[in-house]
Amino acid sequence: PLSPQTRAARVRVGKGDKPVTYEQAHPPHYIAHRKGWLSLHTGNLHGEAGAAERAVEDSFLRRFMFGTFPGLLVDEVVLKRRGNLLVVCALLARALPPNKIYFLVGYAETLLSHFYKCPVRLELQTVPARVVYKYL
Amino acid sequence: NLMGARLAGSHVDTQEPKTNPLVSISDEPETLYKRLSLLVKGHDKAVLDSYEYFAVLAAKELGISVEKVDKPPKTIERFTLLKSVHIYKKHRVQYEMRTHYVCLELKYLTSSTAAVYLEYVQRNLPEGVAMEVKKTKIERIPEHIKKPVWDTLPQVEEAEVKS
Repeated sequence: PLSPQTRAARVRVGKGDKPVTYEQAHPPHYIAHRKGWLSLHTGNLHGEAGAAERAVEDSFLRRFMFGTFPGLLVDEVVLKRRGNLLVVCALLARALPPNKIYFLVGYAETLLSHFYKCPVRLELQTVPARVVYKYL
Repeated sequence: NLMGARLAGSHVDTQEPKTNPLVSISDEPETLYKRLSLLVKGHDKAVLDSYEYFAVLAAKELGISVEKVDKPPKTIERFTLLKSVHIYKKHRVQYEMRTHYVCLELKYLTSSTAAVYLEYVQRNLPEGVAMEVKKTKIERIPEHIKKPVWDTLPQVEEAEVKS
């Protein structure tokens, strides 16, 4: 039973003019029910190691993506780890011309591969505007 | 022009058989596995269900007999931490991590079949899912155990008892 005073990962109800995405609108107790996971790796499974390293890598990758695509990220970055491969999935807005986005993608992929010593793949999808789930 | 190309390609088969460089044939007898047990663990039950369907389908296509598909109960790892940075001992936060399991048991495989199946199934392992493999090998009984020891001893003791 949740107390009404919990403030973790919740957007407070306001006047009705604040656009909120599906990810932001759902508080964390909906995670396996209405929400999915943002970062998928085997570190947190029972009897598996390496959860702390993955967490550090995840936070670095999110800040890196937030910095290389300034103002373009519509929703949170989804990270997937398949064996050695790191797949970074992001939703971008169509504010930059495609040539610049291609350069940023190549730059991010090569830099991250050299930094983490593993193949890094960036999978992007462009959206005309931020997908609003509801207004709070 | 296309007809000429087809004829030019076809006469190669009659002269020498095509050997696939990826397939290797060796004369040594293959190790046999009585049981191949795959334990798949994950956080998301839907992902594990779809992976189980995929693995069973792959086994059926390759002709491997599936002994049983077991679903052991989930393990929940819970811990309680302090909610605040400094004081407020009475207010805590509780987190939990759920691990769901699916156990696939395949029987009577050869080493090459097991290698092919495991490679295919492991390459398509979804992210966030881990797998443990246990193989049970069949070996021939060693020669020195086959007959009981008391049969092989010489008959000297009977003569001693009589005298």
